[in-house]
Amino acid sequence: MTDPKSKIIVVDDERNIRLTISYALEDANCEIDTAVNGEEALQKLREQSYALMLLDLRMPGMDGIDVLRYVADQYPDMRVVIITAHGTVQNAVEAMKLGAIEFIQKPFTPQEIRDVVANVLARESIERKPGLDYETHLELAKRLISARDLYAAMKETQAAIAIAPSRAEAFNLLGAIHELNGEPSQAKKHYRVALDLDPTFALARDNLARVSDRNRRFERPRL
Amino acid sequence: MSQHYIVITGCGRLGSMLANRLSRDGESVVIIDRDESTFDNLTSEFSGFTIHGDATELEVLRQAKTERADYFLAVTSNDNVNLMIAQVAKLIFGVPLVLARVFDPAREDIYAQLGINVVCPARLSADIFLQTLKAAED
Amino acid sequence: MRVIIIGAGKTVYYLARRFVAKGYRITIITRDAAKAQQFSRKLSATIVQGNGSDPQFLEEAGARRASIVVALQSTDQDNLISCQLAKEMFGVPRTVALIHDPENAEVFKKLGVTVAISVAQMLGQVIEEQVGYEEIINLAAIEQGRVNITEVVLMPGAPAIGCALRELKLPQNALIGAVIRQDDVTVPSGETRLFESDRLLLITQPHNHGATLRAIIGEGH
Repeated sequence: MTDPKSKIIVVDDERNIRLTISYALEDANCEIDTAVNGEEALQKLREQSYALMLLDLRMPGMDGIDVLRYVADQYPDMRVVIITAHGTVQNAVEAMKLGAIEFIQKPFTPQEIRDVVANVLARESIERKPGLDYETHLELAKRLISARDLYAAMKETQAAIAIAPSRAEAFNLLGAIHELNGEPSQAKKHYRVALDLDPTFALARDNLARVSDRNRRFERPRL
Repeated sequence: MSQHYIVITGCGRLGSMLANRLSRDGESVVIIDRDESTFDNLTSEFSGFTIHGDATELEVLRQAKTERADYFLAVTSNDNVNLMIAQVAKLIFGVPLVLARVFDPAREDIYAQLGINVVCPARLSADIFLQTLKAAED
Repeated sequence: MRVIIIGAGKTVYYLARRFVAKGYRITIITRDAAKAQQFSRKLSATIVQGNGSDPQFLEEAGARRASIVVALQSTDQDNLISCQLAKEMFGVPRTVALIHDPENAEVFKKLGVTVAISVAQMLGQVIEEQVGYEEIINLAAIEQGRVNITEVVLMPGAPAIGCALRELKLPQNALIGAVIRQDDVTVPSGETRLFESDRLLLITQPHNHGATLRAIIGEGH
């Protein structure tokens, strides 16, 4: 981690989540504070500053989105990571469009929390551009694919393609989405496009080989 | 403290006791049960996650991020469920250490041979009874 | 050939009858006492009443000499364990398991079952072959045509693609009764999102049929 001791605030109405995160970050070089709801979080923000906020979207009273809007406006230097329940990735994607820079899905492992915090704190600066860039769209698409929200993943992939139509990665993801959606012929088509654009692209080559193999089973496409 | 990620299936007497204790010791625990009311067995010591679902469905195990688990404990009240999901956890999700509770001692050996660590309560109790008797004789 | 069939349903009876007619030696293991009696009256097969995933009853059923074990019980886990015990403890060379969750087909093969059969998957395939690629199929007219059941396929460009059901502007008294995606059939809720190639079972009345089709697959209908 970059700072000598980073201050982190965890905002969640569930005691379990606050505890799990506090335990997970015990040995990391950071100081943990918690808030049980949006109102308390804003109170604490007024008293001191934090490098990072881990924020649950669903809370009674002032909910996560309201907190996020306020924070993006008043404390633009603080980074926000969203905590989201299974099956609500769409909300997290909306939150990222409002300025959150990461999201993590429940349940999470201690290592996931540590990785996310380390990654986020290591990022030099936060870019809150109105439109997301190619890499961000790809990253979102990958996360949506792992969360099995294929429709939203498809939209992110298409957004990436619109930005850089001659780059291969997004076509590989598009192939993976079709493969997971049970459309092997569509999947093949997109893997081929990815390979045409970049003949050295190993992931697409592997995916194409696998989806063309009639005896293939039980392997997931590589993203 | 090195914290582990532990998936437990079945929140009955044994499952909830394991979840409460592991959680108290600071481990990160996810517990799955298809009957939501069993989560009432969790005490305030429990600080992990609960998932309401049938662990014989791959989708539910995926939701629990089983592929990231350090340990997997199959302790539902049904032997066949435990044996099936223990194998799935080990072979499909690659969990390094998998333990299954199996009531019927007749099935213990064969699954031990298949690489599943089986805990048989009757055999464990018998061992302790016999040890205690032996100690009393000595 | 010696075949052991495990289970209590009608399939067990008809499969056994068919195999007996071919001259196979059949043993049925069933937990259900009434079924056991019924089978033994109607079939020239050996009946063992007991738990088919208990090694004791597999042995009693002659698993050591069986060429094949067919597990047709009502849960996937029972069928898996019966097959594994037959193979690992008694050396049965081929095992067949009925599965309910189609995702288990691959899992069971990895766990050593020779053949895993998913009814949902087979039905899905058969239906798909039957319907081919027609976009609209009228399946049934009920009450002299006052209610119609229609199947439609979401071809590329259909306006419903990507929408959750609650976002669709369906006329009153029309509904989407089922969504068939791959091998899965779901009864949708308002949150269910539609994808390209989904097949929908529509329940409509003559006066709202056209409007329903337009809302789902677009103009020209």
